[in-house]
Amino acid sequence: MSELEHRVRGVDHVAFPTFDPAGTIRFYRDVLGFPVVHSICAAGWGPEDHPDFIHFFFDIGNDDRIAFFYYFGATPEVGGAEGAKGDVYARFGPDVPEFFVRSRHLAIHVESEEDLLEYRRRLDASSWPVEMQLQHETIESIYTHDPNGYFFEITRAMRPVTPQEDLDANLTIDALLDVLDRPEPTFGKLLARKAELIVDRAEGWQPAVVR
Amino acid sequence: MTALYVLDVPENTAVAKVAAEDPAVTVDRIGPYFEIRADGAIVVDRRATGCRHAVWYSCVAGVAPGSAITQHDKDALRVEPA
Repeated sequence: MSELEHRVRGVDHVAFPTFDPAGTIRFYRDVLGFPVVHSICAAGWGPEDHPDFIHFFFDIGNDDRIAFFYYFGATPEVGGAEGAKGDVYARFGPDVPEFFVRSRHLAIHVESEEDLLEYRRRLDASSWPVEMQLQHETIESIYTHDPNGYFFEITRAMRPVTPQEDLDANLTIDALLDVLDRPEPTFGKLLARKAELIVDRAEGWQPAVVR
Repeated sequence: MTALYVLDVPENTAVAKVAAEDPAVTVDRIGPYFEIRADGAIVVDRRATGCRHAVWYSCVAGVAPGSAITQHDKDALRVEPA
C-alpha cells in the first residue's frame, strides 16, 4: 500500500466539449437543477486558429464541477466522422461492443434512495428520461445519455464500504501487477495469485482505527 | 486439496454458508476472508445462495494454486483439483 501522504480533495472539474450548449444547459441546469457556478468567455486562447469559446461549469455537489467547452463556429465534424455509437467526443463504429462504448462514464453520487428517485423523477419528466435503473446489490444506479451523448449515471451505495474491501482491492491490484509481469495474464491466474496473497497477508490484517 | 477464498462482506456470507452445508467442505477464516476447502470438488448452488448476478460473478476472491474453477454460471460455482 502507498505510504505517500494523500493530499488531494476530490474532483475540481471534469471537462467535455459540447456542440449543443442549449441542450446541455437545459439538461444540467433546468432538468437536474445543477447550479451554474462559473464560466469563462474567451476570445481565442493563444494560437490564432483557436476558436472563441465559452467554458461553463455546473456544480455536481461537494463543490465538484462538471464543465463544458462550447467553441463558436465549430461543428461536430472537428472531432471526426459521425459514429454509429458513442458520443460527440468519442465516436465508434457499429462493430465496437457496447461494454467498451459504455466503459468510460461519469457517475455522480447521491446519499439515499429518496435522492436517487428524485433525480429519476426530474429526468423522466424531461427529454432525457432514465434509460435503466439497476441494483447491483451493493449499489443502485440510474442511467441516461446527456444531450451530447455522454453516458450519465447517478448512483447510491446500498451499504457503506467495509474496511476489508479496501484490503481486498489492494490484494487484487498487487495480484494484477504480478500476473501482468508474467506471460499471458488471465483471470484464472489473477485468482491463483490473489489466493497466495490472501494466505500471506490477510491473517495479520487489522482494520485501521482511523480511516 | 481444493480451496477458494471469499471476502466476508454481507452479500457473500450466503456463499460460505451454502458451501458449508456439504459435510466434505470445511469453512475457516483467514483474516476477513472465508477459506472454503475440501479434498475434492467444492460446489455452490447459486439459487441456494440467493445471490443475483453482480455479487455471484464477483464473489470469488482467490482460488488456491492446484485448484481451478470449472463452472461459474447461473446455476453453480464449481472448484475442482486442477
